Amino acid sequence: MVQGITRNARLALLMVVGLVCGTVAFSQVQIDYWHGFTGPDLPVMEGLVAEFNETHPDIEVTPQAIPWGNLFQQIEPSVAAGRAPDVVAVNEDVITGFIMRGALAQITPEELSSHEIDAERFYESLWNIGTVDGAVYGVPIHSVMLVMYYNKSLFEEAGLDPENPPQDREAFLAAARALTVDSAGRHPGDEGFDHDDLAQWAVGVPTPWMGGTIAYSVAAQNGVTFVGPASEDYAVNFNSEGGKEAVQFLVDLVDEHQVSPANATEQSEIDAFRQGKAAMNFNGVWMLTQYQNQDGLDFGVAPLPNLGTGDYKVWGGASYLVMPMQRRGDPEEREAALTFISWMTQAEQNLKWTAGGSLPTQPAVADHPDYQEHPMTAVRDALPDTYILAGFPFVAQLRAAWDAGFEAALLGDKSVDQALDDAAAEASARIEDGLQSLPPRD
Amino acid sequence: MTLSHPKRPALLRLDDRNPLVPYLYLLPHAVLFLIFIVFPIGFGIFVSLHRWNLLSDQQVFVGLDHYRSLFTPGSPEARFFWKTLLNTILFVVITVPLLIACAIGLALLLHKPIWGRGFFRTVFFLPTILAVSIMGLLWKWMFENGSGLINVILDQLPLLDTVPFLTTVGWAWVPIIVGTLWWTVGFNMVLYSAALAAVPQAYYDAAQLDGAGRWAQFRHVTWPMLTPVTIFTAVTSTIASFQLFGQSHVITAGGPLRSTQSVMMYITEEAFTNFQFSSAAAMSMVFGLALLLISVFQFRLLLRDTGRGAD
Repeated sequence: MVQGITRNARLALLMVVGLVCGTVAFSQVQIDYWHGFTGPDLPVMEGLVAEFNETHPDIEVTPQAIPWGNLFQQIEPSVAAGRAPDVVAVNEDVITGFIMRGALAQITPEELSSHEIDAERFYESLWNIGTVDGAVYGVPIHSVMLVMYYNKSLFEEAGLDPENPPQDREAFLAAARALTVDSAGRHPGDEGFDHDDLAQWAVGVPTPWMGGTIAYSVAAQNGVTFVGPASEDYAVNFNSEGGKEAVQFLVDLVDEHQVSPANATEQSEIDAFRQGKAAMNFNGVWMLTQYQNQDGLDFGVAPLPNLGTGDYKVWGGASYLVMPMQRRGDPEEREAALTFISWMTQAEQNLKWTAGGSLPTQPAVADHPDYQEHPMTAVRDALPDTYILAGFPFVAQLRAAWDAGFEAALLGDKSVDQALDDAAAEASARIEDGLQSLPPRD
Repeated sequence: MTLSHPKRPALLRLDDRNPLVPYLYLLPHAVLFLIFIVFPIGFGIFVSLHRWNLLSDQQVFVGLDHYRSLFTPGSPEARFFWKTLLNTILFVVITVPLLIACAIGLALLLHKPIWGRGFFRTVFFLPTILAVSIMGLLWKWMFENGSGLINVILDQLPLLDTVPFLTTVGWAWVPIIVGTLWWTVGFNMVLYSAALAAVPQAYYDAAQLDGAGRWAQFRHVTWPMLTPVTIFTAVTSTIASFQLFGQSHVITAGGPLRSTQSVMMYITEEAFTNFQFSSAAAMSMVFGLALLLISVFQFRLLLRDTGRGAD
């Protein structure tokens, strides 16, 4: 009996020693990575993480895909509870808020240089959004933009050059009239043209969020900055002449020029473009694979035309890899997280990532020979002109007000003047709330 | 009586005469109740009185500021909170009677021993098990402005015109209400089917002898006999309808012009999109109080009805 116990105890001891040795010998740092790439880019992201795990035997990254909205809701509670993941992907519109509310850890200059994360590699406009007052918190991993998809067959039928889509307001309006046909074959402006009975149209102007994004781009082309600098408490300026002109132009596409159907939604326009009813579609680069998979749709991609009156600008967005604050900082995990962030954002990985529909985050990828075959090279030159609404912690409130103002004007609920003035008042009140609720920064 | 343990005081007795016994029976529930109901409400009140930041050590006390702005005309909080609350009430007022009427109707139709009764009961109950996101996508597709099935059919029919459901104030409720009805009516129908089966046939026989027609039979036999179930479905449907979130979120995203945004959606937006937790907590408190008042009123109304039914 006594011997038996001793033998069992000895066995147990051996097993414990074995386990400990085993863990030491194959010691792997485990890190958690949350991201919101749940669309067609999910398999690409999972492939990249698997490749990282294969090439880095000492680190095991466990990715978790969570829809963006839910992901953003979980970040601060997880930090407060001390159970935050090691690496998270966040978008340009929320990153500054997370930084200012103290949810994200700064990446120190030493860490940046020891992990070869160089600011110079990235597009400057993208890189800056991941920083506050020169301190770096996020590294760009993903870049998107509003583009124009156009149906080459319909362009040809209308006598337009399918390789030369319109790029300014005048050319756009001329093409739009040629591309809009009612069921009797009449064009807008023709005697008896019936706007309520369109067989084919140029492009739909949908209601939020996509409509707001299009209007945002045109307003930016009119020189609207949306908010003033931090020193002026982010004074809202989108109800300026330029903002109103932009919204009026888009409303006129429906009512005045009659090249857009009334009551378009983002989905109805996507469907109409796929069915060959809408000759053009303004949407994000992420629609590419859906349109490529549409049988018999011969389409091209071009930058959104300059529908405004000033310099070229277009809506853009980006995602960043960040490290949430950890209650008990484990230096090993932090090292591993930085290794992962650095690897994921290198040109080689970014090039692979563009397969999922993203645009390059850095010129080296845009100029890479392998990228030249990508359908999105057509919009590459517009990349430095993306006007990204970011850099302050109330982008969501500002966009919600802008979108609502645009919707009210488009649906005829209010005049353009009234709609944008009301929206600006709303945005100002929300920004004031937001400024008050920010914790003091040291 | 105290022979076995002469020194043990009353509070330490190990039998049922210990005065603590009733409280010990209540303890398990009380612990859960305190942790999951009382504490969150208290914490919610605390949050609503501060300018609360999840990650900050110091929370600035602002008193009733967040409540005050809910009652300040012109502030965005007041505008959207009351607008979305009215939206929600409109939804409740329309859906609850529909959910009860349709459930009774279906239960009555399927009460008769018709062919395929079990099959139809299953079919009507089936949507209940779907997730709201699936149900929402389905009805969004059906009512989509250009390419939705309903509009394709309307377009084909002579004399009828297509309706831009998703972008027209008013019409935008149709996909949400029809979808909700389709989604949840099966549950109430099952409750009514069970209740109908329990109505003794003798009542109908007696009513028939008295010369009652079908409507009189329903009015004076079926309806009173179903009252307990009606109270239950009315209360549960009302509470569920006040919690409207997923249907609006998926089908219309609250639009157009926030006309189908529910108050729960707005509170979520305030908390997790605008990161104004305190303001959202204050709204939750006001909404909770409103819901409490409505529930009390509804209970009284319906209990009075049962009291009358028992006379």
